[in-house]
Amino acid sequence: MTNEEEFQCIDRILAGDQQAYTVLVDKHKYYAFSIALKVLQNRNEAEEVAQDAFVKAYHHLSKFNREAKFSTWLYRIVFNTAISAKRKSKPIFQSIENTIVEYNPGSEGTLESSDKKKYVNQAMAKLNEADRTALSLFYLDEFSLDEIAAITDSAANTIKVRIHRARQRLADELTLILKQEALTL
Amino acid sequence: MKNTPQPLDDTLLNYLDGSLKPEEKTDIEKLLQQSDTLRVRLDELRGIHFALRQIKLDQPSKNFTQLVMGKLDGYTERSTFPIRNGIWLLAGVLVAVGIVSLLVSSGVFDQTQTVVDLNKINLPKQYIQEPLPSIPFNGKLLINIIIVLNLGLAWLVLDRAILKPYFQRRMQTH
Repeated sequence: MTNEEEFQCIDRILAGDQQAYTVLVDKHKYYAFSIALKVLQNRNEAEEVAQDAFVKAYHHLSKFNREAKFSTWLYRIVFNTAISAKRKSKPIFQSIENTIVEYNPGSEGTLESSDKKKYVNQAMAKLNEADRTALSLFYLDEFSLDEIAAITDSAANTIKVRIHRARQRLADELTLILKQEALTL
Repeated sequence: MKNTPQPLDDTLLNYLDGSLKPEEKTDIEKLLQQSDTLRVRLDELRGIHFALRQIKLDQPSKNFTQLVMGKLDGYTERSTFPIRNGIWLLAGVLVAVGIVSLLVSSGVFDQTQTVVDLNKINLPKQYIQEPLPSIPFNGKLLINIIIVLNLGLAWLVLDRAILKPYFQRRMQTH
Protein backbone atom coordinates (compact mmCIF):
# COMPACT_ATOMS: atom_id res chain seq x y z
CA MET A 1 0.00 0.00 0.00
CA THR A 2 1.58 3.31 -1.07
CA ASN A 3 1.31 6.61 0.80
CA GLU A 4 -1.19 7.81 -1.78
CA GLU A 5 -3.38 4.75 -1.27
CA GLU A 6 -3.20 5.28 2.48
CA PHE A 7 -4.32 8.87 2.06
CA GLN A 8 -7.26 7.69 -0.08
CA CYS A 9 -8.15 5.20 2.64
CA ILE A 10 -8.02 8.02 5.20
CA ASP A 11 -10.32 10.12 2.98
CA ARG A 12 -12.85 7.26 2.97
CA ILE A 13 -12.67 6.96 6.75
CA LEU A 14 -13.12 10.71 7.17
CA ALA A 15 -16.13 10.52 4.83
CA GLY A 16 -17.74 8.05 7.27
CA ASP A 17 -16.54 4.64 6.07
CA GLN A 18 -15.46 3.27 9.45
CA GLN A 19 -14.73 -0.23 8.10
CA ALA A 20 -11.96 1.20 5.89
CA TYR A 21 -9.95 1.64 9.08
CA THR A 22 -9.45 -2.16 9.30
CA VAL A 23 -7.07 -1.85 6.34
CA LEU A 24 -4.86 0.61 8.24
CA VAL A 25 -5.05 -1.39 11.49
CA ASP A 26 -4.12 -4.62 9.69
CA LYS A 27 -1.18 -2.95 8.00
CA HIS A 28 0.29 -1.19 11.01
CA LYS A 29 -0.61 -3.43 13.96
CA TYR A 30 2.69 -5.33 13.96
CA TYR A 31 4.88 -2.26 14.26
CA ALA A 32 2.44 -0.58 16.64
CA PHE A 33 2.44 -3.61 18.92
CA SER A 34 6.23 -4.01 18.68
CA ILE A 35 6.81 -0.38 19.65
CA ALA A 36 4.41 -0.65 22.60
CA LEU A 37 6.07 -3.90 23.68
CA LYS A 38 9.57 -2.40 23.46
CA VAL A 39 8.45 0.40 25.77
CA LEU A 40 6.33 -1.60 28.22
CA GLN A 41 8.04 -5.02 28.20
CA ASN A 42 4.69 -6.65 28.93
CA ARG A 43 2.57 -8.27 26.22
CA ASN A 44 -0.85 -7.64 27.80
CA GLU A 45 -0.15 -3.99 28.52
CA ALA A 46 1.40 -3.54 25.07
CA GLU A 47 -1.66 -5.04 23.41
CA GLU A 48 -3.97 -2.73 25.37
CA VAL A 49 -1.84 0.35 24.67
CA ALA A 50 -1.48 -0.42 20.95
CA GLN A 51 -5.26 -0.81 20.65
CA ASP A 52 -5.87 2.43 22.56
CA ALA A 53 -3.41 4.22 20.28
CA PHE A 54 -5.27 3.01 17.18
CA VAL A 55 -8.57 4.18 18.66
CA LYS A 56 -7.03 7.56 19.56
CA ALA A 57 -5.56 7.89 16.06
CA TYR A 58 -8.97 7.11 14.51
CA HIS A 59 -10.66 9.87 16.49
CA HIS A 60 -7.94 12.39 15.65
CA LEU A 61 -7.56 11.37 12.02
CA SER A 62 -8.76 14.77 10.81
CA LYS A 63 -5.74 16.32 12.56
CA PHE A 64 -3.28 14.23 10.52
CA ASN A 65 -1.81 16.86 8.19
CA ARG A 66 -0.27 14.44 5.63
CA GLU A 67 3.10 16.17 5.69
CA ALA A 68 4.67 13.03 7.12
CA LYS A 69 3.83 9.38 6.51
CA PHE A 70 0.73 8.09 8.27
CA SER A 71 2.86 5.39 9.91
CA THR A 72 5.20 7.96 11.48
CA TRP A 73 2.20 9.91 12.87
CA LEU A 74 0.53 6.72 14.15
CA TYR A 75 3.67 5.25 15.74
CA ARG A 76 4.31 8.51 17.52
CA ILE A 77 0.86 8.20 19.09
CA VAL A 78 1.68 4.58 20.01
CA PHE A 79 5.03 5.60 21.53
CA ASN A 80 3.52 8.49 23.53
CA THR A 81 0.60 6.35 24.74
CA ALA A 82 3.03 3.62 25.80
CA ILE A 83 5.30 6.10 27.59
CA SER A 84 2.28 7.54 29.46
CA ALA A 85 1.16 4.03 30.44
CA LYS A 86 4.69 3.17 31.56
CA ARG A 87 4.88 6.27 33.75
CA LYS A 88 1.58 5.42 35.37
CA SER A 89 2.46 1.80 36.02
CA LYS A 90 6.19 1.91 36.84
CA PRO A 91 7.73 5.25 37.64
CA ILE A 92 11.15 3.85 38.64
CA PHE A 93 13.79 3.86 35.92
CA GLN A 94 16.49 1.25 36.09
CA SER A 95 19.69 2.29 34.36
CA ILE A 96 21.91 -0.24 32.67
CA GLU A 97 24.92 1.59 34.09
CA ASN A 98 24.59 0.04 37.54
CA THR A 99 23.18 -3.33 36.64
CA ILE A 100 24.67 -6.55 35.44
CA VAL A 101 22.89 -8.96 33.15
CA GLU A 102 21.88 -12.11 35.01
CA TYR A 103 24.19 -14.92 34.08
CA ASN A 104 23.33 -18.55 34.63
CA PRO A 105 26.56 -20.46 35.34
CA GLY A 106 24.69 -23.75 35.02
CA SER A 107 24.73 -23.52 31.25
CA GLU A 108 28.03 -24.91 30.04
CA GLY A 109 29.75 -24.83 26.68
CA THR A 110 29.99 -22.02 24.20
CA LEU A 111 27.47 -19.22 24.05
CA GLU A 112 24.82 -20.59 21.72
CA SER A 113 22.83 -18.30 19.48
CA SER A 114 19.66 -18.85 21.54
CA ASP A 115 21.61 -17.95 24.70
CA LYS A 116 23.02 -14.90 22.98
CA LYS A 117 19.52 -13.84 21.97
CA LYS A 118 18.37 -14.31 25.55
CA TYR A 119 21.23 -12.25 26.97
CA VAL A 120 20.74 -9.54 24.35
CA ASN A 121 17.05 -9.39 25.33
CA GLN A 122 17.98 -9.16 29.01
CA ALA A 123 20.46 -6.39 28.31
CA MET A 124 17.92 -4.63 26.07
CA ALA A 125 15.37 -4.74 28.90
CA LYS A 126 17.76 -2.69 31.01
CA LEU A 127 17.99 0.14 28.51
CA ASN A 128 15.55 3.00 28.95
CA GLU A 129 12.40 2.78 26.84
CA ALA A 130 13.40 5.50 24.36
CA ASP A 131 16.80 3.88 23.68
CA ARG A 132 15.24 0.43 23.39
CA THR A 133 12.58 1.63 20.98
CA ALA A 134 15.07 3.61 18.88
CA LEU A 135 17.43 0.63 18.67
CA SER A 136 14.65 -1.79 17.73
CA LEU A 137 13.22 0.52 15.06
CA PHE A 138 16.71 1.04 13.66
CA TYR A 139 17.31 -2.69 13.33
CA LEU A 140 13.86 -3.41 11.93
CA ASP A 141 15.21 -1.58 8.86
CA GLU A 142 11.93 0.13 8.08
CA PHE A 143 12.64 3.62 9.32
CA SER A 144 15.17 6.33 8.63
CA LEU A 145 16.86 8.13 11.53
CA ASP A 146 14.58 11.12 10.85
CA GLU A 147 11.47 8.94 11.12
CA ILE A 148 12.71 7.30 14.34
CA ALA A 149 13.39 10.81 15.65
CA ALA A 150 9.84 11.90 14.76
CA ILE A 151 8.30 8.82 16.39
CA THR A 152 10.26 9.23 19.62
CA ASP A 153 10.06 13.03 19.60
CA SER A 154 13.83 13.56 19.52
CA ALA A 155 16.38 15.12 17.18
CA ALA A 156 17.91 12.84 14.54
CA ASN A 157 21.41 13.45 15.93
CA THR A 158 20.23 12.49 19.40
CA ILE A 159 18.80 9.26 18.01
CA LYS A 160 22.07 8.44 16.28
CA VAL A 161 23.99 9.00 19.51
CA ARG A 162 21.41 6.97 21.46
CA ILE A 163 21.70 4.04 19.07
CA HIS A 164 25.51 4.14 19.24
CA ARG A 165 25.63 4.32 23.04
CA ALA A 166 22.99 1.61 23.43
CA ARG A 167 24.96 -0.74 21.19
CA GLN A 168 28.15 -0.03 23.11
CA ARG A 169 26.41 -0.85 26.38
CA LEU A 170 24.97 -4.05 24.95
CA ALA A 171 28.37 -5.04 23.52
CA ASP A 172 30.01 -4.45 26.91
CA GLU A 173 27.33 -6.51 28.64
CA LEU A 174 27.75 -9.40 26.21
CA THR A 175 31.54 -9.28 26.54
CA LEU A 176 31.13 -9.48 30.31
CA ILE A 177 28.91 -12.54 29.91
CA LEU A 178 31.41 -14.22 27.58
CA LYS A 179 34.20 -13.59 30.07
CA GLN A 180 32.11 -15.02 32.91
CA GLU A 181 31.40 -18.05 30.75
CA ALA A 182 35.07 -18.51 29.94
CA LEU A 183 35.86 -18.51 33.68
CA THR A 184 33.45 -21.39 34.29
CA LEU A 185 35.00 -23.58 31.59
CA MET B 1 35.26 -4.62 27.58
CA LYS B 2 35.66 -1.21 26.04
CA ASN B 3 39.29 -0.05 25.78
CA THR B 4 38.85 2.19 22.76
CA PRO B 5 38.15 5.93 22.92
CA GLN B 6 34.56 7.08 22.20
CA PRO B 7 35.25 8.61 18.74
CA LEU B 8 36.83 5.35 17.57
CA ASP B 9 33.88 3.36 18.90
CA ASP B 10 31.56 5.66 16.94
CA THR B 11 33.64 5.17 13.80
CA LEU B 12 33.53 1.40 14.25
CA LEU B 13 29.74 1.51 14.60
CA ASN B 14 29.46 3.68 11.50
CA TYR B 15 31.74 1.18 9.75
CA LEU B 16 29.36 -1.65 10.69
CA ASP B 17 26.37 0.43 9.55
CA GLY B 18 28.12 1.12 6.23
CA SER B 19 27.72 4.86 6.73
CA LEU B 20 31.41 5.87 6.42
CA LYS B 21 32.75 7.81 3.46
CA PRO B 22 35.22 5.80 1.28
CA GLU B 23 38.27 7.64 2.66
CA GLU B 24 37.08 7.18 6.26
CA LYS B 25 36.50 3.50 5.55
CA THR B 26 40.06 3.13 4.20
CA ASP B 27 41.47 4.94 7.27
CA ILE B 28 39.65 2.73 9.78
CA GLU B 29 40.61 -0.42 7.88
CA LYS B 30 44.26 0.64 8.08
CA LEU B 31 43.89 1.24 11.81
CA LEU B 32 42.23 -2.15 12.20
CA GLN B 33 45.18 -3.87 10.53
CA GLN B 34 47.56 -2.19 12.96
CA SER B 35 45.67 -2.59 16.24
CA ASP B 36 44.67 -5.84 17.94
CA THR B 37 42.64 -3.91 20.53
CA LEU B 38 40.62 -2.24 17.82
CA ARG B 39 39.96 -5.57 16.08
CA VAL B 40 38.77 -7.07 19.35
CA ARG B 41 36.44 -4.12 19.89
CA LEU B 42 35.13 -4.41 16.34
CA ASP B 43 34.35 -8.08 17.02
CA GLU B 44 32.48 -7.15 20.20
CA LEU B 45 30.43 -4.51 18.39
CA ARG B 46 29.89 -6.79 15.41
CA GLY B 47 28.55 -9.46 17.77
CA ILE B 48 25.86 -7.14 19.08
CA HIS B 49 25.23 -5.75 15.58
CA PHE B 50 24.42 -9.20 14.21
CA ALA B 51 22.42 -10.15 17.29
CA LEU B 52 20.29 -7.04 16.88
CA ARG B 53 19.75 -7.80 13.22
CA GLN B 54 17.80 -10.85 14.39
CA ILE B 55 15.16 -8.58 15.94
CA LYS B 56 11.80 -9.43 14.46
CA LEU B 57 8.42 -7.79 14.67
CA ASP B 58 6.32 -8.95 17.60
CA GLN B 59 2.98 -10.55 16.83
CA PRO B 60 -0.13 -9.03 18.41
CA SER B 61 -3.17 -11.21 19.20
CA LYS B 62 -5.08 -12.69 16.28
CA ASN B 63 -8.22 -10.68 17.00
CA PHE B 64 -6.30 -7.39 17.42
CA THR B 65 -8.06 -5.63 14.53
CA GLN B 66 -11.52 -6.73 15.66
CA LEU B 67 -10.79 -5.51 19.19
CA VAL B 68 -9.71 -2.11 17.87
CA MET B 69 -12.79 -1.81 15.63
CA GLY B 70 -15.01 -2.77 18.58
CA LYS B 71 -13.51 0.02 20.69
CA LEU B 72 -13.91 2.80 18.10
CA ASP B 73 -17.43 3.85 19.09
CA GLY B 74 -16.94 3.68 22.84
CA TYR B 75 -14.08 6.16 22.82
CA THR B 76 -14.17 9.15 25.12
CA GLU B 77 -11.23 11.51 25.27
CA ARG B 78 -9.53 11.22 28.63
CA SER B 79 -8.51 14.41 30.30
CA THR B 80 -4.72 14.69 30.60
CA PHE B 81 -5.19 16.99 33.61
CA PRO B 82 -5.06 14.83 36.76
CA ILE B 83 -8.10 15.04 39.05
CA ARG B 84 -5.84 15.71 42.04
CA ASN B 85 -4.46 18.83 40.32
CA GLY B 86 -8.04 19.91 39.60
CA ILE B 87 -8.93 19.57 43.29
CA TRP B 88 -5.89 21.68 44.27
CA LEU B 89 -6.79 24.33 41.70
CA LEU B 90 -10.40 24.43 42.88
CA ALA B 91 -9.31 24.64 46.52
CA GLY B 92 -6.95 27.51 45.63
CA VAL B 93 -9.68 29.44 43.85
CA LEU B 94 -12.17 28.89 46.70
CA VAL B 95 -9.65 29.92 49.35
CA ALA B 96 -8.85 33.11 47.39
CA VAL B 97 -12.58 33.87 47.03
CA GLY B 98 -13.13 33.19 50.76
CA ILE B 99 -10.29 35.50 51.84
CA VAL B 100 -11.40 38.33 49.55
CA SER B 101 -15.06 37.91 50.65
CA LEU B 102 -13.95 38.17 54.29
CA LEU B 103 -12.01 41.34 53.48
CA VAL B 104 -15.04 42.80 51.67
CA SER B 105 -17.42 41.96 54.54
CA SER B 106 -15.02 43.48 57.10
CA GLY B 107 -15.13 46.74 55.16
CA VAL B 108 -11.53 46.87 53.90
CA PHE B 109 -12.69 48.11 50.49
CA ASP B 110 -15.35 50.55 51.75
CA GLN B 111 -13.00 53.54 51.43
CA THR B 112 -11.88 52.70 47.90
CA GLN B 113 -14.38 55.05 46.28
CA THR B 114 -12.92 57.79 44.17
CA VAL B 115 -13.62 59.81 41.04
CA VAL B 116 -11.27 59.73 38.09
CA ASP B 117 -11.20 63.24 36.64
CA LEU B 118 -10.20 62.93 32.99
CA ASN B 119 -9.58 66.71 32.77
CA LYS B 120 -6.50 66.26 34.96
CA ILE B 121 -4.85 64.13 32.31
CA ASN B 122 -2.50 66.11 30.06
CA LEU B 123 -4.07 65.80 26.62
CA PRO B 124 -3.50 68.09 23.57
CA LYS B 125 -5.97 70.98 23.92
CA GLN B 126 -6.73 71.27 20.20
CA TYR B 127 -8.58 67.95 20.23
CA ILE B 128 -10.72 68.66 23.28
CA GLN B 129 -13.63 71.06 22.71
CA GLU B 130 -15.65 70.41 25.89
CA PRO B 131 -14.70 69.43 29.45
CA LEU B 132 -14.33 65.63 29.86
CA PRO B 133 -16.65 63.76 32.24
CA SER B 134 -15.51 62.45 35.62
CA ILE B 135 -15.74 58.66 36.11
CA PRO B 136 -16.69 57.36 39.55
CA PHE B 137 -14.56 54.39 40.67
CA ASN B 138 -15.92 51.97 43.25
CA GLY B 139 -13.26 49.52 44.49
CA LYS B 140 -15.78 47.42 46.38
CA LEU B 141 -17.87 46.91 43.25
CA LEU B 142 -14.77 45.86 41.30
CA ILE B 143 -13.78 43.33 43.98
CA ASN B 144 -17.32 41.94 43.98
CA ILE B 145 -17.15 41.47 40.20
CA ILE B 146 -13.80 39.66 40.61
CA ILE B 147 -15.35 37.39 43.26
CA VAL B 148 -18.24 36.50 40.93
CA LEU B 149 -15.80 35.79 38.07
CA ASN B 150 -13.74 33.56 40.39
CA LEU B 151 -16.85 31.64 41.42
CA GLY B 152 -17.55 31.10 37.71
CA LEU B 153 -13.96 29.87 37.26
CA ALA B 154 -14.34 27.56 40.26
CA TRP B 155 -17.50 26.08 38.73
CA LEU B 156 -15.64 25.54 35.43
CA VAL B 157 -12.71 23.83 37.19
CA LEU B 158 -15.13 21.62 39.15
CA ASP B 159 -16.86 20.58 35.93
CA ARG B 160 -13.93 20.17 33.52
CA ALA B 161 -11.05 19.11 35.75
CA ILE B 162 -12.83 17.04 38.39
CA LEU B 163 -16.36 15.85 37.58
CA LYS B 164 -15.95 15.15 33.84
CA PRO B 165 -12.69 13.14 34.13
CA TYR B 166 -14.07 11.34 37.20
CA PHE B 167 -17.24 10.15 35.42
CA GLN B 168 -15.28 9.29 32.25
CA ARG B 169 -12.94 7.04 34.22
CA ARG B 170 -15.88 5.49 36.04
CA MET B 171 -17.60 4.74 32.74
CA GLN B 172 -14.43 3.17 31.34
CA THR B 173 -13.86 0.95 34.36
CA HIS B 174 -17.44 -0.40 34.38
